[in-house]
Amino acid sequence: MLILARKPGESIVIDGRITVRILRLDGDVVKVGIEAPTSIPVHRQEVYDEIQKANLEALSPSGVELPRLTASSSPPPASIARIKKK
Amino acid sequence: MNTIELMEPETKVTKPKEVIQLPLGLLGFERVKKYVLLAKPGEEPFLWFQMIEDAKRSFLVIPPHHVLSNYQPDISEQDVEFLDLINPVEALVLNIVTLRGAMKGTVNLRGPIVINRRTLIGKQVIPSNAAEYAIQHPLPVS
Repeated sequence: MLILARKPGESIVIDGRITVRILRLDGDVVKVGIEAPTSIPVHRQEVYDEIQKANLEALSPSGVELPRLTASSSPPPASIARIKKK
Repeated sequence: MNTIELMEPETKVTKPKEVIQLPLGLLGFERVKKYVLLAKPGEEPFLWFQMIEDAKRSFLVIPPHHVLSNYQPDISEQDVEFLDLINPVEALVLNIVTLRGAMKGTVNLRGPIVINRRTLIGKQVIPSNAAEYAIQHPLPVS
């Protein structure tokens, strides 16, 4: 792992297009600003961790009767995912 | 037990087994890349997302409009490209259900599985607006 020492206001540039700036120190919290092209997803590590945990928890439910859902009144939408058209 | 016809928005049990490829696997199951989607009679709207290599291992999934009518995950440009989605209608969105005791369960709305109906390539994505949705959204049970 590359370790760099930075002061508030200083930044790191990754791949010439992603800028990670240390904004300020607030007790034990570091505020980090990230500038990246919109095509690059930026998420907190916890999001990956919690989805992984949810997947492990959800694996192979067995011996349980499936819940009966309240009937949805709205018809199924043609599309659910939202994507940016090129 | 058959795979649902992926071109139909509504569950329709017709087609023989179609293999869904997840090149990156699911988070925590990165090595498992081939799945089938199964509908069992009387279990609608639930479906089973089953590992081909081990039929005993599967996930209960649900089309999200049964859970939240205005659910609209924003798919990142990188994922749109990865999945080769040309039109949003091509994207089959399924969310993993965790059963929690008798007749109860939660749905992961934060990490949906998106499958391109045309190519049958899928990925568990983190939508750009993931923070708006719960990882344990309660199932609307009667």
